[in-house]
This record gives sequence, structure tokens and C-alpha cells, in this order.
Amino acid sequence: MRGRQMMALVRKDLRLELRTRETIVAMVLFAIVMLAILQFGFGTRDDDLTRFVGGLMWVTLAFTAVLGVGRSYVAEREQRVLDGLLVSPVPRTVMLGAKAIAIFLYMTAVEVVVIPLVGIFFVKGPYWDAIGWIAIAAVLANTCIALSGTLFSGLALFTRARDLIFPVLFLPALVPVVIAGAGATHAVAGGPHDMSEWRGYCLFLLAYAILFSLVCVATYDAVFDD
Amino acid sequence: MTPSSTTDGPARIPGQRAAVIWGTIATILVVASTIGVFLIAPEDADQGIIQRIFYFHVAIAIASLVAFAVACVAGILYLRTRSERWDDVGEASIRIGLLFSVLVVITGSIWAKASWGTWWVWSDPRLVTYLIVVLVYAAYFVLRSSAEDDRKMRYSAIYAIAGFASVPLSFYSVRVAESFVHPVVFTSSGANMPGTMLWWFVMSQVAMIALFIALLEVDLLGRRSERALRRLAMRLESA
Repeated sequence: MRGRQMMALVRKDLRLELRTRETIVAMVLFAIVMLAILQFGFGTRDDDLTRFVGGLMWVTLAFTAVLGVGRSYVAEREQRVLDGLLVSPVPRTVMLGAKAIAIFLYMTAVEVVVIPLVGIFFVKGPYWDAIGWIAIAAVLANTCIALSGTLFSGLALFTRARDLIFPVLFLPALVPVVIAGAGATHAVAGGPHDMSEWRGYCLFLLAYAILFSLVCVATYDAVFDD
Repeated sequence: MTPSSTTDGPARIPGQRAAVIWGTIATILVVASTIGVFLIAPEDADQGIIQRIFYFHVAIAIASLVAFAVACVAGILYLRTRSERWDDVGEASIRIGLLFSVLVVITGSIWAKASWGTWWVWSDPRLVTYLIVVLVYAAYFVLRSSAEDDRKMRYSAIYAIAGFASVPLSFYSVRVAESFVHPVVFTSSGANMPGTMLWWFVMSQVAMIALFIALLEVDLLGRRSERALRRLAMRLESA
């Protein structure tokens, strides 16, 4: 029953996105612009930025996540969908799971474009064989982003200046994910593969996802307890 | 006895006695540990006088974590009971914990300048971790100031819990593949310092935790006094 409710809510988010194509397209364009800006921000015309690739990619993805997650509750807020959801017999944890899955899918769609682009823009040398390892780290990082993003965007939803509040809440919590994502990417793309380092960062991302899922499940009921 | 009591003598606010007791204990301990650290504890053969900042730096760091843990527990208790008392404890604890964390970053930076010749070392996981912790808990007050009434307390409680969950994650994330340049005093095999130094470190630690409790009691007393005054003003207006 809960699984069906959750899938119905995920389908609702995806259908809205497919009809308007606002969020994912904007996220992808934003990520590409960010990558270009970061290159100019380095103030160098060095052809080989391989050693910075982890940082470049995950800073871009973190800011893209802020943009996408921040927009993920727009329909709920502006079209009063949330009022309907709150009075319906849908448990809050199902709403949490559905929103987290939708954010996870948005981030995955962006990364399908961004990860190869990062390779083309910034990496000299053998990179493509590392894509699979980076994708695994990205899946774990997306889970972390989706869980913390769902919780913090829920908290920011009814605050004054919510568009400003959300990044202030979300980005500090995302710092460990950026550190681990960049570390895992660097371990396999920044030079010779260091799989033990990659494994360490991936385990950390897994621990983050487990811990935040517990925090979300324990507290999400109270977020919409109006 | 409540402030509105009509018995003789000045009215007492609940918690006044605890604030006085803890304030006295904290003052005695902080003065004693400061004297001990600067006048009695032996000087470190390698680092000289700058090593003495360690007694306060580490003690304040641990006290700040205690403060954040108290705020997390208060957050859980608020969500269970919806009692304003736990919201007060949570906010006051984070306020003091944040102040301590800023002091940790400042004292760490002074130590870095003396020991490594630079104010900030990005490869030092502990300094970077504390910077992240400061950012996480500074956001608590931004959230609190932009929510209202019941939501303010509810969101603060949730954020205090989520914030405390992110502390060990921040600690661990910067350590996964870092080379440690920070001196490690407490290892799995015990404290890496002589007995006299350890004794004064424990004394400083107890003093900082007592200081946290004293500041918490004073903060809570201030809130209770404010509420009592407000109630009194309302009674006078309606009389």
C-alpha cells in the first residue's frame, strides 16, 4: 500500500516535470554554466585540470542540487498540492520517500550530462574507464543529497525568505558529501586509480545516507505537523 | 515561589539558585585551572608556552560538542513533549556551543600560527571540521529567525537533531584520506602527555563543562525572568 502511494507521488512529480520541463533543463544548463565559470575562475589556461576534476564536478553538482531541490516543492507550495497531501491518508514518511526519489532522479538526469562533460572539459589522459566508479559514487552521493535536501527544503518551505534560507541550511550539511564525492572522483580520475581511497569515500557516503535516512524518518512527521 | 507571589521579600525566579551555584562553581574552576595551566603545569619541551593554549582549545572543543549533544537531546524531548522549556534549553545550548566553536577556531588558528607559521592550514582536518560545525550551527539561528511561533520551535528542534547528526559526519569526512598534521594527544593507547599535564587538562575540561552549565543556567534564568516580567505586565494591565 505504502509502496503504491509512494510511486503515485513520484509519478506526480515526474509528470509535472515532463509537462513543464522546467527544473531538469534549468539544472543541466546551470551545471554547464557553472563548469565554464569555474574554469574562468581558476584564471588559468592550463589544458590539464585533471587534478582539480573532483572539486570542479562536485562544487557544480552541489550548487545544481541547491537549485533543483529548492524548486522541488514549488508545485506543493504554489498550487496548494501540499494541503491536499496533508489531509489525505498518506503517511509523512511516504511523502518523504517520494520527494527523495524525485530529487534523486533529477540529480541522476543532470549527472548523465555533467559527468561526461567534465571528462571532456577538464581531464587529460585515461578517464573514461573511471566513469563507472564515479557513477557509483554519484549514486551514493545523490542518495545523501536527496535525503538531506528533502528534509531541509521541507524546513525552509514555510519560512520567510525561504529561497535564501534553504541554501544556508542545505550547503553546510552538504559539505561532507562534497568532500567525499570529490575525494572519490579524484581517487579514480585524478591520476592513478586508488581504489582503497575510493572505497573509503564510498563507505562514508553510505554511512551519511544511512544516518540521514534515520534522522529524516525520525523527524519528518514533525516538519508538517500543522 | 513565583514572581507574582505576595509574600515578604524579593520574588525568586525558578532556577535562580542553580544559576548562582553553577556560576560560583564555574568561576572557581576556571580561575583554578587558569592558575594551574599557566603557573603549575610544566612547559612543553618542543612547543614552549604556546602549548598551554591546548588546555583551553581542546577543553572548549569538547565542551562545545557536549553543548550540541544537549541541544540534540533537548530537540528530541521538545518533539516528544512540545514543552517550551526544551526549546529554551536547545536554543541556549546551541548559542553557547556556537560561541565555544568560534573560540575553538580562533585558538586553533593562534596555535597554527605559532606552530606552523600560518593562521590557517586547510590540510588540518580538525580546524576544517570546526569551521564546518560553525557554519552548520550558525544556520540554526538563520532558520530560527525566519520561522514563527510553534514552527520556530519545531524547526529548531528538528535542525538541532539533524545538525548533531552532521557533526560526526563532518569529523569523519575530512579524515578519510587526510594526512594528519594536527598534534594527536589522545590516542587509542591513552593520553600522550605526562601526568601533571593530564591532571591540569582534566581540570580545564571540568571547568569548561561547568562554564557551559553555568552559562546555560544564566541564559535560562534570563528567559524565565523575561516571561515572568511579561506575565506581571499583563496582570498589571488587566488590573
